[in-house]
Amino acid sequence: MSQQLTNIQPRSQPVDIGDEVASFSPEVEAEIEDHLSKYPVKRSAILPLMFIVQRERGYLDPPGVAYLANRLGLRITDIWEVATFYSMLHTKPVGKYHIQICKTLSCKIMGEPGITEHVCSRLGIRPGETTADGKFTVSLVECLGSCGTAPMFQIGFDYHENLTTGKVDQILDSLK
Amino acid sequence: MFIGAIGCEPLQLARVHLDKSASLDVYRANGGYEALKKVLSGMSPDDVINEVKKSALRGRGGAGFPTGMKWSFVPKDSPKPKYVVCNADESEPGTFKDRYLMERDPHMLIEGMLIAAYALGAKVNYIYTRGEYRYLIDIMDVALAEARAAGLLGEKILDSNFSAEIYTHTGAGAYICGEETALLSSLEGMRGHPRMKPPFPAVSGLYASPTVVNNVETLTAVPDIIKMGGEAYQKLGTEKSGGTKLWSVSGHVKRPGVYELPMGYDDMEKFIMEDCGGMLNGKKLKAVIPGGSSVYIMRADQIIGKDVRMDYEGLVAGGSSVGSGGFIVMDESVDIFESTKNLTEFYKHESCGWCTPCREGTDWLVKVFKRVANGGGRLEDVQLLLDLCDNIEGKSFCPLGDAAAWPIQSAIKRFPEDFKKHLVGTNGKQQLIDV
Amino acid sequence: MSTEVIKVTINGKEFDVPKGARLIDVCRDKAFDIPSFCYYADLALQASCRMCLVRIEKMPKLQTSCTIICTDGMVVTTQSDEIEKAQRSMLEFLLANHPLDCPVCDRGGECELQEMTFDWGGLEERFTEKKNYQPERYLSPIVANDPQRCILCKRCTRVCDEWMGEDAIEAGGRGANTVIGTYGGWLDCSQCGNCIEVCPTGTLLDGTYRHQARPWELTQTISTCTYCSDGCQMSLGSRGDELMRIVARDRYVNGLNGEFLCIKGRFGHPFVNHEARIRTPLIRYKKGGKLIPATWDDAIRHAAQKLDKIAEAHGPNSVGIIGSPRITNEANYLLYKFGTELVGTTNLTTTDAFSLKPFFANLGGALATHRDIRYAKTILLIGGEPEELQPLTGKQVRQAVRNGGAKLIVVNSTPIRLIEQSAQFIHIAPGTENAFVLALADKSNSSGPAKCGIEGEQLHTLRETIEDTSGDVIIMFGSELNAAAQAVVAQLPHSLAADTRRVLLHPLPLYNNSVGAHDMGMMDAELTPGQMLDAAGESIRAIYIAGSFLPAHLRGREEALGKLDFLVVQELFETDTTAFADVVLPAASFAEIDGTFTNNDGFVQRVRQSIPPVNQAKPDWMITAQLAAELGMNFGFEMSASAVFKEIAERVPGYAGLRYPLLKDETSPVQARYKVAESRKLSDELKSLQQLVDALPEPGEKISVTPRVGHELFEIGTLTDKVPQFHLLAAGNPRPETVRVSPLYQITVDANLQREVVVAGD
Ligand SMILES: Cc1cc2nc3c(=O)[nH]c(=O)nc-3n(C[C@H](O)[C@H](O)[C@H](O)COP(=O)(O)O)c2cc1C
Ligand code: SF4
Ligand code: FES
Repeated sequence: MSQQLTNIQPRSQPVDIGDEVASFSPEVEAEIEDHLSKYPVKRSAILPLMFIVQRERGYLDPPGVAYLANRLGLRITDIWEVATFYSMLHTKPVGKYHIQICKTLSCKIMGEPGITEHVCSRLGIRPGETTADGKFTVSLVECLGSCGTAPMFQIGFDYHENLTTGKVDQILDSLK
Repeated sequence: MFIGAIGCEPLQLARVHLDKSASLDVYRANGGYEALKKVLSGMSPDDVINEVKKSALRGRGGAGFPTGMKWSFVPKDSPKPKYVVCNADESEPGTFKDRYLMERDPHMLIEGMLIAAYALGAKVNYIYTRGEYRYLIDIMDVALAEARAAGLLGEKILDSNFSAEIYTHTGAGAYICGEETALLSSLEGMRGHPRMKPPFPAVSGLYASPTVVNNVETLTAVPDIIKMGGEAYQKLGTEKSGGTKLWSVSGHVKRPGVYELPMGYDDMEKFIMEDCGGMLNGKKLKAVIPGGSSVYIMRADQIIGKDVRMDYEGLVAGGSSVGSGGFIVMDESVDIFESTKNLTEFYKHESCGWCTPCREGTDWLVKVFKRVANGGGRLEDVQLLLDLCDNIEGKSFCPLGDAAAWPIQSAIKRFPEDFKKHLVGTNGKQQLIDV
Repeated sequence: MSTEVIKVTINGKEFDVPKGARLIDVCRDKAFDIPSFCYYADLALQASCRMCLVRIEKMPKLQTSCTIICTDGMVVTTQSDEIEKAQRSMLEFLLANHPLDCPVCDRGGECELQEMTFDWGGLEERFTEKKNYQPERYLSPIVANDPQRCILCKRCTRVCDEWMGEDAIEAGGRGANTVIGTYGGWLDCSQCGNCIEVCPTGTLLDGTYRHQARPWELTQTISTCTYCSDGCQMSLGSRGDELMRIVARDRYVNGLNGEFLCIKGRFGHPFVNHEARIRTPLIRYKKGGKLIPATWDDAIRHAAQKLDKIAEAHGPNSVGIIGSPRITNEANYLLYKFGTELVGTTNLTTTDAFSLKPFFANLGGALATHRDIRYAKTILLIGGEPEELQPLTGKQVRQAVRNGGAKLIVVNSTPIRLIEQSAQFIHIAPGTENAFVLALADKSNSSGPAKCGIEGEQLHTLRETIEDTSGDVIIMFGSELNAAAQAVVAQLPHSLAADTRRVLLHPLPLYNNSVGAHDMGMMDAELTPGQMLDAAGESIRAIYIAGSFLPAHLRGREEALGKLDFLVVQELFETDTTAFADVVLPAASFAEIDGTFTNNDGFVQRVRQSIPPVNQAKPDWMITAQLAAELGMNFGFEMSASAVFKEIAERVPGYAGLRYPLLKDETSPVQARYKVAESRKLSDELKSLQQLVDALPEPGEKISVTPRVGHELFEIGTLTDKVPQFHLLAAGNPRPETVRVSPLYQITVDANLQREVVVAGD
């Protein structure tokens, strides 16, 4: 499969990856169309589309990448170079709940270490790891713009601020 | 968290406390889109640019470049389409003002962008928001839909013959995409690498067309400038930096938050000790990073009793700069070696990897910091750090390299003892460096 | 660049430089050395290595001289403590994570990073931390990769995109984790190896030459490529009597192709020392018998006597002489001389059916050089597929469009990859190239476009594009064109040129010396090779052939040779042709001889001996001379190819005055002077084309699929057959289970083209 994927085709031809190309519901397709319509150049929609593929398929898996290449008329390599540049894009699976703890200065001095410690010991994993059941991934990330409400973490796209260990427990319980 | 104005009437923050402040109705009920009306009924693009010039508005994104002048660089006669791009990538550690502006008052940004678009003759415009701020993108999309429905966006706005569109665009986690040319690369679907200047975006930016990139706060200042007139706006601040400025305050103060201060607010000490409620748990002030992580760190004694004026000139005189207005306050418990290590790790993580000094330099710096932190400090390490910074500063492709060097240089200069104590040499003696 | 001159002061000295000159070039030109990695002339600017820093008055900070265009009165300093420190520190940064494994690195000894470090680097190493580690791997059967050595100058990604238009290799990751690679880590492209060539370090490496030799062990010989008609200049690296590798690295050679080569030129050489090379002369004493090794004397005597007898018995014209577009001018010339002066036959031809005679006979303008192509304003490509068949031309076209803004008009029956670059693609029905030429030449003609399946409108647009051009228009055509069509195209300059506009011609024959074979007279054929095969055993009783039949449509027809009374073949390998030979004479390959090839620019370029002839092989021209001597005619060239060339220069008008010493410098190649034919009525040609058009069927289905990269390049020929990697590529470049093949392992193929990984040496 990945072998087919690495076949780099001339631009003038869609990437041929046989049945390994992802497909999406009409609603999602419409959403994608909407994004494409914003730009004079298709390629500009690459980030929005990647987020959609990620939302639908968990991460940028090969069929998803193949879909992007076809949809945007790019080479697989073009997708790869972009996907690996941005820290929010995943070319490997991540947990259902991606807990991203801000570790930058303001959060650091306002108690991030304690929060990280607590989250990790509760889930029994270290930062950068995913729980065995694939439910939680914990990452330490750079400033998320909540310095005034530190410490904080983001789960998926949701901000959780002014964290205390008690609050963390509530949040994690609600996700169980 | 506090959010409001001190020492002046709130301009940018005038509506943030209102219920449903993000809605079109509330915005209009409070003077919203009046400026746009004024512009569309009888002001020429040049009039607008002149008002902005008179207002002495300086870019709030960090560079502090005079906005009116930036706008006037856009070639009028160019046959290419023009673009206004709002820089909402707010990723500078300690900075979170744009976030609340967009969350609480999205229409102010839309109005500002429309006026800019009118002044520059831009038809299609984008708001580049950092990927983590997804909920802000949703808020903006709602607001844009409202505006479109109300004929404030799209074809023939307010029945004038001015038409313009605004779209939201998402980043995906890269601080460097806040740098305007990297932002444009990213918006074109490329890796977020900065581009060579010249050509400057105003001449050849997005899709090689004339483009103005402005920070959120810069654009949200425009409606008020039009309403009250450039001079009046300038008078709120100082002669060189007009108007009011938002400060994102975080760290060891009782009342962190977003503060709107007039440019040239007279005393930083008063600001910390009174306006921000003073130091948390009565600890002593040790250091302040006043303009986001990329500026010089200040010692308490550079602030206490020094009447540091809070505007571009004042802060430079005080030994730092305004930057993005990310105001990080640290008390005596903070080890400046550790805080500097923390920021250096940030810059290493965010270096785009394009140019040698930043890519390899930040990597090396972090390795040294880690070794020292793990007790492997050597007598010569401080000199090494300073020399590496010197080798990065002024030689990198874009300013991120410099931004990585400055905190370290200033920290070592101003807090030598915090570094000394980590540098017990092999001979057991303390490292003595003269600064 | 304008001719206006401005003043620039460098290190206190004032210079006049052309307006718009780039500072780094000016400094180097004025002998102020400036280090750089990412700057590469004619590639997009990068300004990322930060080595080329200089101080310019009235400018803040140090400036990268690679990005600065000189302005009048600019005052520049290239040497100062400040600048030295900057350069030293950049190198220190680059070396920080760079493994110090030069002793085992293939690039050691010709590595730019090494050299820069010697010239500009510091003495002590201050970096004592752990280096970032990345494992070595193969990116393809041909490209080996050690990511850890990479300094991210991105020359590779830029040549892949800008030269090759393939964009197959890119930078992934961010910051210190940036790494050059591809999705899934497998490189599926035309495998040109230009990324390897331009890599300043040992990051991208020639997988076929991995750990085989150190650069300083190699003798570098400048020569001309033996594959296509572009005639790239290359440096043959030999150790003893073995050809180890071929590169175009500018430190060794700097020809019309710069550092560009294609997969065949760069990696197609292992046939030279291949064990299947014919070892001795061979004689088949009776038809149907075996080929039996013989001495040169016996073989020559045997061949000479037989040819003599047959000419006696059936007349000179019963002997056919077949030259080759693969062998040197010298070799073809002697075959011509042998045939005309000694045997006295008029039946001369070549092993390729595509004859350039009608083209040169009607040549209405100058031949375009590859440089002309790069800076052309409009390019009309009729048939052909340069990207696969003349890769350098393909690259020049691509750059003309991408970097020079030229307009490309592609006329082809398949949507070849070049249409990506084209301003207009005229998609004609299969097999209607000649019809198109008629339609192009004669506005009034209507059946032409119809049969091509195109609108008259398209031709109109094409003509307008050409008429709106000021600058060079270049017309290229592939070997699809027949004699009449060639004549018509050759005359086009007369009708299309104007004082604002040159119209240059660029034929696209397939072989390294097609043009030379024509110049030597081997294409003034009475008989085409096909006809000669038909006549075999009838009017033709004996054939003396250099090499074997080349084009597909002749291959497989060799049986006809069985009907001959006698067949002499000069060859490197046993082929379908030698299978019918009565005498086989082992010929020397291009790497073993001196001589000249003439490329499709009309450049007469030197072929130089890099290694002694393999086994008992001899240069083709010497073999012919020996046969002649045996038949009593001493050509008198002794052992000297230059003597042969001297005589060529006396006999062939276009070559008048040329001598080897004049061809010495590959950096300024010499173009043969072809006579420009008067403008003439082409009524006969047009008539014959019209008949051909009338005979054509109505246009049916057009070909809609763009062929994959390499569909021609990877084709297995007699020579590439000897290179395992080509078999892997021809088999679809299968990706191994693990793409991280340790350098200890070599990729090999067994008979069934299955890749198997074996430990080297066991
Ligand atoms: C490394 C780096 C990061 C930056 N990040 C931001 C940012 O997050 N937001 C922003 O508005 N400007 C940022 N800037 C400044 C922009 O490059 C640019 O100056 C600004 O958006 C111009 O808008 P203004 O004139 O309104 O300030 C950054 C600059 C650099 C060098
Ligand atoms: S300084 Fe260089 S590596 Fe760093 S962010 Fe800018 S361009 Fe990228
Ligand atoms: S050569 Fe100028 S920066 Fe690399």
